[in-house]
Amino acid sequence: MLNVRSILASAAAAGLLFLFAAPAQAQCKAFAKNKCVPELAPFKFNETFNAAQLAPGEEAEVNLTFFSGQEYRVMVCSHPILGEVNWKLVDANNKIVFESLADEPKHQFDLKATSTLQMKVVVWVPTKPKTELVHVGCVAILVGFKE
Amino acid sequence: MIAMRNPIWPVMLAVVTLLTACGGDPPQQDTLNVNDGLDSATQSARMKKTKNIFYNIPSPMETAALLKKAGADYNSKILNDVKNVDKYTAASQQALNLGVYGADLSYASVFNHTQESMFYTSCARKLADRLGVINAFNDSTLELMQSKMNDRDALLDVISETYWNVDAYLKENGRDNISALMIAGGWVEGLYIATQVAASNDSPELRQRIAEQKFALGDLIGLIESYEVDDERLNGVREDMKALQVLFADVNMGGGDNTVSDENGVAVIGGSAPAATLTDAQLGAIRDKAAAIRNTYIN
Repeated sequence: MLNVRSILASAAAAGLLFLFAAPAQAQCKAFAKNKCVPELAPFKFNETFNAAQLAPGEEAEVNLTFFSGQEYRVMVCSHPILGEVNWKLVDANNKIVFESLADEPKHQFDLKATSTLQMKVVVWVPTKPKTELVHVGCVAILVGFKE
Repeated sequence: MIAMRNPIWPVMLAVVTLLTACGGDPPQQDTLNVNDGLDSATQSARMKKTKNIFYNIPSPMETAALLKKAGADYNSKILNDVKNVDKYTAASQQALNLGVYGADLSYASVFNHTQESMFYTSCARKLADRLGVINAFNDSTLELMQSKMNDRDALLDVISETYWNVDAYLKENGRDNISALMIAGGWVEGLYIATQVAASNDSPELRQRIAEQKFALGDLIGLIESYEVDDERLNGVREDMKALQVLFADVNMGGGDNTVSDENGVAVIGGSAPAATLTDAQLGAIRDKAAAIRNTYIN
């Protein structure tokens, strides 16, 4: 009986996941455009659409080049349904330059590059207790620059 | 008199002029068989492998802004002829040249040549329409640009948003390979412009910006290689980029160990080694190769 209940609960969770995922995919662009891009100001958005639907436990990463003499804002913007996400900025030697954890979140990091740098932003969505429904939500990694 | 009383008429007239400025009627298309032919199993396999890895290639606007800051000048003669737009009948050609015209548009706009910006916008719109990119460019976009012609920053914002709309539309509709071609076309045009400008207006700053494209080229190849589809055009572009990569291989990128300090709440990050640069031979070889590749894309 317990097994049947467990199977039914799993099926319901999977169904809900599907129901949430489909419209969320369509809304990811709108979410990034309306919620995230305005927060880059006064930096100019670099026009690159880096956004994905992530579930708890999943990761995303993006390689970035920062040009010398330029100022940048790196922003990780996630849908509230996911809660706070963790992210870090690491250099080419995997040394952490900046880290934001869910219990002390920061959504953006401003930097000035004195030499041209290759870095990587790694985002991961914290896992949740198994009793909670699994939600999928949009995570956008955006970069703004000063002209 | 009507035009004087109704301010919409000049804008409509300008839009009609723009729509006719970039070539005539679109020719019969050969096919628009783009990513739609990809079977769902292949697409699913690619998604599993690459779904969470992004490659951030500097946008045409960012590249043009860097060139301006490096002291480059504006030369309209090196840009793609607007009359070429109707030659692009294959979807892959349209995608590559959407990137090329996008880069020309950014270059003209950043250097404040607004009239030419409008012509390149018209070309980009035509190609976007033919690629079936809905609503990224529409009449209201052109009207908005027309109304912002004397406000450079506002015009750049409209162009940026339009580029991002096209890129996002393609990616959200499973046409990532078309997006990759557009990005590659834009990057090649940016490299072509920079190396051509350096031929007549050489400076250490400009050479540095060209040398630094080695990083972007690596990311661009990574982006293209993330597609396991048997796309002949994308494979050809990958080979073009690898040929360029050979020429960038010995370019010294400077850098070194990064130090981080704080300056009024902003992290200042950088290495101590000298900035990247190019020898005359490296610059000449990259210039020739970029011109040859670009020539195959626009003709």
